[in-house]
Amino acid sequence: MRTILTKLRLAGLLPARASVADCILANMHLHAVLPRVADLVRLDPEAAAAVQGLELALDFAVLGGPSAHLRFRGGRVEHGAGRLGFPALGLVFTSCARLNRMFGGEKVLPVPVGGLHQLPRVRRFEALTALLTRYLKPQVTDLADPRFKAAHVELSLLVGLSAACQVGLHDPAARRVVAALHDGSIQFLVEGGPRAHVRIARGALSAAAGELPAPTATLVLRDLDFAAALIRGEVDAFSAVGAGDIRMHGDLFLADEFNALFDRVGLYLH
Amino acid sequence: MPEKLYSFDESMALFRRAAAVIPGGIPGHFSPALTVPGSFPYYAVRGEGCRYWDADGNRFIDFMCGYGPIILGYRHAGVDEAARRQREQGSVFNHPTALSVELAERLVRMVPIADWATFARNGSDVCTYLVLVARQHTQRRKVIKARGAYHGTHAWCIHGIAGLIPEDYAQVLQFTWNDLDELRDLVRKNADDVAAIMLTPYHHPAFGDSVLPAPGFMAGVRELCDRHGIVLLMDDVRAGFRLDLGGSNEYFGFKPDAIAYCKALANGHVISAAVGRAELKKAASQVFFTGSYYASAAEMAAALACLEELERTRAIPHMLEMGGMLQAGLRERAAKHGLQVTVSGPPSIPAMTFSNEKNFLRMQRFSAEAARRGVFFHPHHNWFLCAAHQEADIREALDVADRCFAIVKAEFGS
Repeated sequence: MRTILTKLRLAGLLPARASVADCILANMHLHAVLPRVADLVRLDPEAAAAVQGLELALDFAVLGGPSAHLRFRGGRVEHGAGRLGFPALGLVFTSCARLNRMFGGEKVLPVPVGGLHQLPRVRRFEALTALLTRYLKPQVTDLADPRFKAAHVELSLLVGLSAACQVGLHDPAARRVVAALHDGSIQFLVEGGPRAHVRIARGALSAAAGELPAPTATLVLRDLDFAAALIRGEVDAFSAVGAGDIRMHGDLFLADEFNALFDRVGLYLH
Repeated sequence: MPEKLYSFDESMALFRRAAAVIPGGIPGHFSPALTVPGSFPYYAVRGEGCRYWDADGNRFIDFMCGYGPIILGYRHAGVDEAARRQREQGSVFNHPTALSVELAERLVRMVPIADWATFARNGSDVCTYLVLVARQHTQRRKVIKARGAYHGTHAWCIHGIAGLIPEDYAQVLQFTWNDLDELRDLVRKNADDVAAIMLTPYHHPAFGDSVLPAPGFMAGVRELCDRHGIVLLMDDVRAGFRLDLGGSNEYFGFKPDAIAYCKALANGHVISAAVGRAELKKAASQVFFTGSYYASAAEMAAALACLEELERTRAIPHMLEMGGMLQAGLRERAAKHGLQVTVSGPPSIPAMTFSNEKNFLRMQRFSAEAARRGVFFHPHHNWFLCAAHQEADIREALDVADRCFAIVKAEFGS
């Protein structure tokens, strides 16, 4: 496969090999942003209604690169790594950069393969992505609604934590941090708001919503507004800890190491 | 009658001002983020002996001693007077003063492996300098260090990744402390390119127990260095002068080729030193090593007075005795409450963790409660004794520790 791709690239039929940054960003899009469609359905009534009766399986894949899938069934959405394969509808991108452009809002047409019969249902998925974008990049007026604000913070927190996990998995500069990480879990609690956590096990990192029974480290964020500012990168975390805006308990070394990954998210994902 | 507990309102108020104008509010190892924010002092006002007062007027029995520099006690009259007298004459000139010669002579006389000495300001300065000296001496690139060991804030060894590029640490190899086989394997794979092995005299990582050299470990390292022409560097910045005036290696019975000193050299006055064997003297002279304040005379006067006092007063045996009393008392009181603690490290540089946890929750609660009752036990870092600690101070601290163990027991059960 690699040989064919190389030949196609050399023939000018495929774009040149992706940069490391493009690949990291593509992984963030596939494994930090795309999973939030499932969370959106959990958090937003309009999204929950939109997936009722929707039977759809979508593969997102970069040629020779990362892939992920979404499966809509029974009013729920599942996200996973890798491709489902036929009869899922495959949306194939010739490069990480092209996938990134599509996630960035540009009109980029992937190559549809496999379950083409599902194409008419993709419109309903597109409506969900528009709604997700509104939550991730909200208008000030949107945030006046407490439910919207809480969902915005939860979705953004999950994107940020998942993206930090992708930094740990793919960013060469982060290898030194990941090599020093020991197994454990970090709980993030927003007072009056959502809960999310990160698990670290044998060098693998993953983030998810919800509370853990016995996390290795716990970070409590003061409130929704503070959490939103932290996620936007507007807060100096060390100052926030000293000032009590973030309360930390447990294995602060693990939390600090993970923070080094979180700090790098903004280099790729805006 | 309920206990009156300390509050830290003024510290918090100052910190909020600081956060507006100082990155991180309080940077580095002084950051409150590394203690239990809200339950520890952030700003000091004055010190005396083994105690200091914070911005809220709270008084602490101090078991951090400024993270090590205070070895004779805060505001030691003899040391401070020596520095003051020199400052009256001036401290920074176009030249060093005769004090630099006297201080180098004293270190060469005092430290068995030392044939020369040179001076700087911080531990990072001299650790990095010794790496450069080893590279110059061997004409090799790589440095081996223990995983989790701290050797300062320069790019080759700084914690984290912020501001670094992979080339900064590309020539640094790491092994697990006491794992001689792993170290031998690293050397075997890089035999012609290892300039130095840099070790602390024992392993004293933050967020962990202190680990002494296993029997035969240091001898094995020495033999490995001799066989492969590798320079054995000792970072004695943290432990220096609390175990043996001739270098902490003497306490553990091995001989490095060069030693980096800083913290306790001048009882809080700002100076560090590198000393080494004659074989390294030429390379040491070839590496360009300087700084605006490296020859500052008042600090050298303070260092001379401090070393003289350490020699004259048997301060080290006293610190070891007081530290031993503290370690034994902590073990005994924890056991009384049915709690499991690991008290590690040499007595004058003790460390404590709760044996049945990896997340430090009990340790954070214990140390926060101690701070609110006037005893500074760091939750994640080894502690330091100084010569000013007396039996009454240790007993008072242990009484507080006893109450804090009771709180931990009530909250965690075991």
